[in-house]
Amino acid sequence: MIQKKICMVGAFGVGKTSLVARFVYTKFSEKYQTTVGVKIDKKVVQHPAGDINLILWDMAGEDALTTVRPAHLKGASGYILVMDGMRRNTLEVAIDLHGRVSGAVGDVPFVCVVNKADLRESWEIQQSDLDNLVARGWTVVETSAKTGAAVEAAFQTLTDAMMQEHHVDDSTAGAVAG
Amino acid sequence: MSTAPSRDLAQENEPDGGPSGEYTRLRELIVGPEKARLEELQRRLDNRQLRTEELSQVVAEAIALRSRRDRTLQRTLNPLVEEAVRISVTRNPNILANALFPVISEAVRKAVAHALRGLVESINQTLERSVSLEALQWRFEALRTGRPFAEIVLTRSVRYRVEQVFLIHRETGLLLQHVARSDQIVQDSDLVSGMLTAIQDFIRDSFAETSGRDIETIELDEFNLWVQHGPSAILAAVVSGAPPPELRNVLARTLEQVHAEYGPLLASFNGDGAAFAATRPLLESCLLGRQEQKSAKQSQPFFIFSAAALLVAIALVTFFSARAQRRWDRLVERLRQEPGIMLTSADRSWGTYELVGLRDPLSTDPEKIVRASGIDPANVTSRWEPYVSLDAKFKVFRHFLGEKDALEQAVLRFPLNSVQLSAEQLAKLDDIEAHIIKLQHEGAAIGQKFVIELHGHTDPTGNEDRNDALSKQRADEVAKALVSRGISKDMLRTVAMGSREPVRAAAAYLTELNRRVTFHVVIEIEAGR
Repeated sequence: MIQKKICMVGAFGVGKTSLVARFVYTKFSEKYQTTVGVKIDKKVVQHPAGDINLILWDMAGEDALTTVRPAHLKGASGYILVMDGMRRNTLEVAIDLHGRVSGAVGDVPFVCVVNKADLRESWEIQQSDLDNLVARGWTVVETSAKTGAAVEAAFQTLTDAMMQEHHVDDSTAGAVAG
Repeated sequence: MSTAPSRDLAQENEPDGGPSGEYTRLRELIVGPEKARLEELQRRLDNRQLRTEELSQVVAEAIALRSRRDRTLQRTLNPLVEEAVRISVTRNPNILANALFPVISEAVRKAVAHALRGLVESINQTLERSVSLEALQWRFEALRTGRPFAEIVLTRSVRYRVEQVFLIHRETGLLLQHVARSDQIVQDSDLVSGMLTAIQDFIRDSFAETSGRDIETIELDEFNLWVQHGPSAILAAVVSGAPPPELRNVLARTLEQVHAEYGPLLASFNGDGAAFAATRPLLESCLLGRQEQKSAKQSQPFFIFSAAALLVAIALVTFFSARAQRRWDRLVERLRQEPGIMLTSADRSWGTYELVGLRDPLSTDPEKIVRASGIDPANVTSRWEPYVSLDAKFKVFRHFLGEKDALEQAVLRFPLNSVQLSAEQLAKLDDIEAHIIKLQHEGAAIGQKFVIELHGHTDPTGNEDRNDALSKQRADEVAKALVSRGISKDMLRTVAMGSREPVRAAAAYLTELNRRVTFHVVIEIEAGR
């Protein structure tokens, strides 16, 4: 079975853990997150190429005191950039994180998730902000960990993008061999 | 080639004042600017230096672009780079050495530190082991079987057991392969693998960032997590009990083998673990050791059985050896008490016996005594020197034998063809009677039964039948005379010898010596003598 490491990154309190919990249902353990700064979950998703085993590294949220550990990002095949529609500053954190994560792991696929879509009417982040992100080439998905809306879709989108890279990898590997 | 078009142009540019002059001007007007551009291009192509300058501006981007598209460039450059490195090393090895120094010195430092730590651990263990009985047994087994001592330790140590082995991709923390004992409850190994990597990262980030060292052991109550780090993969073993340091070498060797066989696959790993299925046997070879409890249970019946067998064997040996000792003691005692036997030494060792002593020829045969004792005479060697015993029994017996000899010397002679004893011969009967009476007394004293045979003889003259009858009559005549003197008739037996036993010395002129009666004491042999 193909395995892929995925990192959940985003500002503090945007709902990364809730998203993972919604997606996975089964939890390994909550307590590691506070000690080690990361919690690891697993989810098998369907793909035409076969089942994919997603290993989800749920990072501690970014805030003034906690920063993402580059070591934890190492080897990630993709990541989910989470922001909170209710708080505008999480968008800035996300943009900043995107720069740092892509610096650490390279130009790997990612999906930008704007959480708390169930409270869409009271969002600080405007549609125009999201349009700007899309214009940068980002894939933006509006989710709600609470209702489960689009959570599966976000992970599926990321998986598809990673698998496209996977096959590109394969073809390059073929070129080396040839 | 490149000069050809310029020659054509030169020809066309030839000035002439004819109608073609108009044509030239027209051409000048129509293609003039293009012509100038063509000439400029021509110049740039022809000028090598200019071309080099232009190429230098794009070469880096071109290489980057091409290397992104495929790997042809790398392959093309590969021999060049190799050759360049070779030339560089030949010309001045210091340049490369200096460049590599920080990398190599770090690697060497790590390797040496690791080896020293292993050495210290093993010295501690060696000190511990060199004095224990168990270790001595292991050393002996290693000596006997020719296997390395470390291997014996790994297989014999019952204090540890490798429960699970994880092979983890170092960069991603993804699980490449996992093996576990069949009786192990396995948590989700993918998550364990990830979590282990995360914890390592955390610890490295938090405490060991500068030293760049990896966690090699995590200790819990009853479990040890032993982690072996390679450049591309990590081998983690969950071990219960107290593992011997030799296990570390097993893990290191296994990981080295994984790197050797799967190096390129590890480098290009993109999440597809299928290629690493073949590492299973390698990892399974790390599931060493036994569970203490189990092994104790297994060894218990065997231990009891062997202990019981040993006890029975000891009991049997003791019994037989005690019985043999008892028999021997009795035999020696019996021989010491036996008249006419002087035992001077009696040795017993490893089932064989030796008897040495003096023996009166009249005494009981010692072999009979040995046989009666229950000891196999084949295991007994004996050496008897003859001697004369002064034992009372033998003294009387010797007298008895003296009387017997004296009686057997006696001869009664007869005239030719006669059964009548002369007066002179009759006088001898007194002596003979005295001998017989003594024999009777002494024989009774020592319990020796006997009969006296009276042999009648004739001279060789005359026919045989007549001689037989005559010899019988002579013997009967003597017996009658003895009985008349009071000798018991039962003690006497008469035998007709005819002329078959002539007196040896009797020559033809002394044939009268053959006409005689002789006495023979026949001892009746009893059983046990």
